[in-house]
Parts: sequence; C-alpha cells; structure tokens
Amino acid sequence: MDYARFVRLRRPLWEAFEAELAATRGSLRKAGYGTLEDMALRYRQVLHDHALAAARFPGTAAARRLQSLALEGTLRLTGEGRQRPAGLRVFFGRTFPLAFQRQLGLQGIAVALFLVAVVWGLTVAALRPAVGLAFLGPEAVRGLEEGRLWTSSLVTTVPPAVSSSQIATNNISVALTAWTGGVLAGLVPLYVVLLNGLMLGATLGVTMHYSLGAELLEFIAAHGLLELTLILVSAAAGLALGRALVAAGDRPRALALREASRDSLAVLLGCVPWFVVLALVEVFVSPSPEVPAGVKLTLGLALEGAFLALALRPISPEATDD
Amino acid sequence: MGSVQIGLTCLCIDAPAGCTYAWGSRNGEWTEVAEIRRESILGLDNIRLDLPVAGLGSRSLAAFLDYIGLGFVATAWIVGVLVFAQWLAPGWTAVFVVAGLFLIDWGYFALQEILGGGRTLGKRLLKLRVVTAEGGTPAAGPLLIRNLVRSLDLFCGPLLMAVDPLSRRLGDRLAGTLVVHDRQRETAPVLGRVPPGWGARELAVVEAFLARARTLGDPAVAREMAERILARIRRDAPELMAGLDPAADPVAAVRQALQAEEG
Repeated sequence: MDYARFVRLRRPLWEAFEAELAATRGSLRKAGYGTLEDMALRYRQVLHDHALAAARFPGTAAARRLQSLALEGTLRLTGEGRQRPAGLRVFFGRTFPLAFQRQLGLQGIAVALFLVAVVWGLTVAALRPAVGLAFLGPEAVRGLEEGRLWTSSLVTTVPPAVSSSQIATNNISVALTAWTGGVLAGLVPLYVVLLNGLMLGATLGVTMHYSLGAELLEFIAAHGLLELTLILVSAAAGLALGRALVAAGDRPRALALREASRDSLAVLLGCVPWFVVLALVEVFVSPSPEVPAGVKLTLGLALEGAFLALALRPISPEATDD
Repeated sequence: MGSVQIGLTCLCIDAPAGCTYAWGSRNGEWTEVAEIRRESILGLDNIRLDLPVAGLGSRSLAAFLDYIGLGFVATAWIVGVLVFAQWLAPGWTAVFVVAGLFLIDWGYFALQEILGGGRTLGKRLLKLRVVTAEGGTPAAGPLLIRNLVRSLDLFCGPLLMAVDPLSRRLGDRLAGTLVVHDRQRETAPVLGRVPPGWGARELAVVEAFLARARTLGDPAVAREMAERILARIRRDAPELMAGLDPAADPVAAVRQALQAEEG
C-alpha cells in the first residue's frame, strides 16, 4: 500500500477515534457500553496503523499523528492506573499478608543472619569491652560508669514529641534504605541486618559489663521486639529485590525485578504505620519508670503478636490478588 | 509477494537470520523493515508501539526544575510552621518541621506523579509523562517504587539512561515504567499524491516543509525550496504537474501537485 492510499483509506478511522477521545475526555466512566466497544475496536485498528506507519513511513505527518494518537489512546484506555485503587482495608487485609507470606523464606534468612550478628557482637563485647564501648560513644559510656542508661536523655534533653518524630523518621529511613539498597544486589539490606545485630549484641554485652543489662532489656521490652522485626522484614523485602537482580532464573531480569518490587513495596508500606506507633511507645512508655517492666513486656509482646497476626493471617485461595 | 509474520521471536520462514518483522519486497526477496527488540514497547496484541521516549537531556532538565520546586516547597513549609508556631504547643514546632521535611523528601515526586497522571511540575513544564512499559497509565504502586530509589538514581541513573534505548533509570526498570514526550497531536499537511520512487524520507521532508513554509522568515527561501521540490516532482512524475500555472506561487504549486491536505 502506498502512502497516499494508506492515508486516504485510514484517515476517517483516525478522525473518528480522535472525536471519540475528545468526546470522552475526563469522563470515560460515563461513556456508554457501545461507545467503549467502538473505541476499543478503533484503538486496536489505530495501533495496527501506527505500527505500519512507524515501520514503512517513519517521520511522515501520518506516522507522527498516529504516534500521538496511539499514545493518547493507550493512556486513556489501558494501564492499571485507570482502575480505582483498592482501599486500606483490602491492602492490610489481603495484599500485605500475601506479600509478607511470600517472603517468609527471606525473612527467615534475615532473622538467622541477625542472630548470628547478635552473638558476634555479644562475644566481642564480652571478650573486649573496649570494642563494644566504641559503638556507644563517650557520652553513653560516662552514663554507664555512673550507673545510668543513656536512654533517659530521650525525654530529658528534648520534648517527647520531638523524640517521637525523630525516632519514627529515623526508623522509617533505615527501613527505606534497607529496601531501596536491595537493588544493589542485596548488599545494603545485608549490611543493615548485620550492623543492627552487631550493635544490639555489643550494646547488650557492654551494659551487662556494667551490670545494667536488665535495665536495657526493660527499656527495649515495649518497643524493641517489633522494631527489630520491622527492620528485618523491610531488609528481607530489600533482599527480595537483590535476589531478583542476582538470580532472576529463566525470566528477564527486568521482569523478575518488577515482580519482586510489587511484593516488596507492599511489605514495606505495611510496616510504615507500625514504626509511627513504636516511636510513640519508645518515647512515652519505654523510658518511664512509672510503668512496670511486666507491663512493658506485655505491651511489646502484644504489639509483636498483633503485627504477626495481621501479616500471617490465612488468606483463602479465592481471595488472592494474583 | 510473500506473507508477513509478526512476532516476538524470529518467525520469518526463509527470512534473513535475526529478522523479526519482515515484508516481502517487489522482487520477491525478504527485506527487514523493523526489528522487535527486547527493549521495544509492546502494546495490545504485542503490537510494537513507537512512542516518543524522552532522553537523558529532557529528563535531567525536568528533574532539575523539580528539585528547585522541592526546595521551594521545603522552604515554604518551614516558614509556614514558624509563622504558626505561636499557636502550637511547646515542642510541636520541631515535630512539624521534622515530620514535614521527611514527608516532602520522600513524597514530593511520588505524590505529584500519582495525582498528576505520571507528571511532576518539571515534567509538565517539559511536556513529559511517565507511562507503563506497555504505554498505559501506571498505578500508584509503580510510581511509588520508581521514586523510592531516586536517591540511588542520582548516582547511577544517568549512566543507565545513556546506555538504554528506552532511557530507563533504575527506578523505571524496577517499576516497569518509562518517560515519554506528551506532545500535542500533529496537524501537519498530509500528501494525497506521491511521485513513484519517493520514500518515507522524501515524504517527511516535503510535509515538514509545507507545515513550516508559512512561518519561514524569508519568503524567498521558501520559494527556492519549493522550486527544488517542484523540479524533483517534474523529474519523477511529470504527470502531477499537468494543469499547474507556471506563474503561480511555488509553495502553492507544490501543495496542488501533491494534493496536500491539512492533517
């Protein structure tokens, strides 16, 4: 088919599709079934014309017009962005638990690596307390020598509200860093897991050295368990990205990354609200001497239980989002 | 003329190796006219979409404008909180500043793209838009993902975009998106008659000339170019010149000879 004949034969169709796009601009939902069916048919024909023009008549006015038309038609008629987003209830009731459960293996690996790092840090601090002290800094060490934990400064040096916001943003930043760093072959989440484990082990070792281990455990009882869980879960989501990049299997890497990123994002977003809750607990409950250790521990276990109950909630096969 | 087969992989029987989209030519030989590469944008029915992908330059400029916007928003937030500080409880000024800056830092780009159909302020100014790998409207999830790794892309993004035919940065690869030029539809003249032997290049040149002839600063230049096109038409298809007034305006003569119609 020559160019002139191609344009002569097909232009009425393009003009009809342009008119339909113009008529339904901003109100595609209000268009009737017949209109949508017509648009879908013409869109398909426009795509074929566009592919033909791009291949045989590149750079011509018809090819450029069809390019714009194909882009506008594709944007208006296709893509998940056209769909109404699922609400929070669907996200926390189905999307998040499913994504979480699909990453249980990686979460197990993150926990195992974390425990190894804790033991490592504890051993280092026990054998060489000076190395452990380096993690805490001189200010905290002076406090330990005077028989008090550095955690009291959380509410004495700055107002609790400020501490809460700083703790929440800091923890979310750590989780986001662990997640985004996953695309660097999983090295950043590995670093986050090992560093947090090492620091916890070393801190425990040093405080035990100063006979303040029980006080530290009491301080972290209310928020520590879930906080570490969330960091590890976020890091595992980052590891999923790294795994998709390094071991994509028989799929193209880009596709493996796209698939992994969906689950990983759902897991990360499911963790974020809990960080805010934990920041409030860490500032208002954890350092408070009025709250008994038993209550703090109960609260910590309850928070951990609530998170795990939500994340491990059984999802019936017919309710999956796959 | 042989049959035409289109597909993702090599499907052309008796076609040259590596050919993925072939057209039978007049002398019976297979000629490759387009190659569907792995990086191609494949739309409905796996039809190749030849979308106007935005390159490193326009995207960097859009990002630069966006970072200026980010700076303005962050400054406005701090100033706004300080102005209202007298009505806030003690300590809450710092809370609003810390929380607000954190949300602006991580949410400025993502929120704009989610609410603006894949466009931020910089992209609107440069007429760019984020689309899915299939050319459709992306959902909120992919838009969030591509912006979460923005800090990493400040380092590796330009290099990745430079070597990728679809100019995708890390975030685009992760989210399955790309950025395209979102231009107005073309209304350039379309030729109704084409001299034999003229290819797409000649057609594109003449159509572009006719679209811009009226806006050329020097009418003499337009006339000279039109004369050259008329000479070419006279050589390739003298029958198209029949009935034309030799004294007429050359640009109008080109339009008449090729029956150019406004698009």
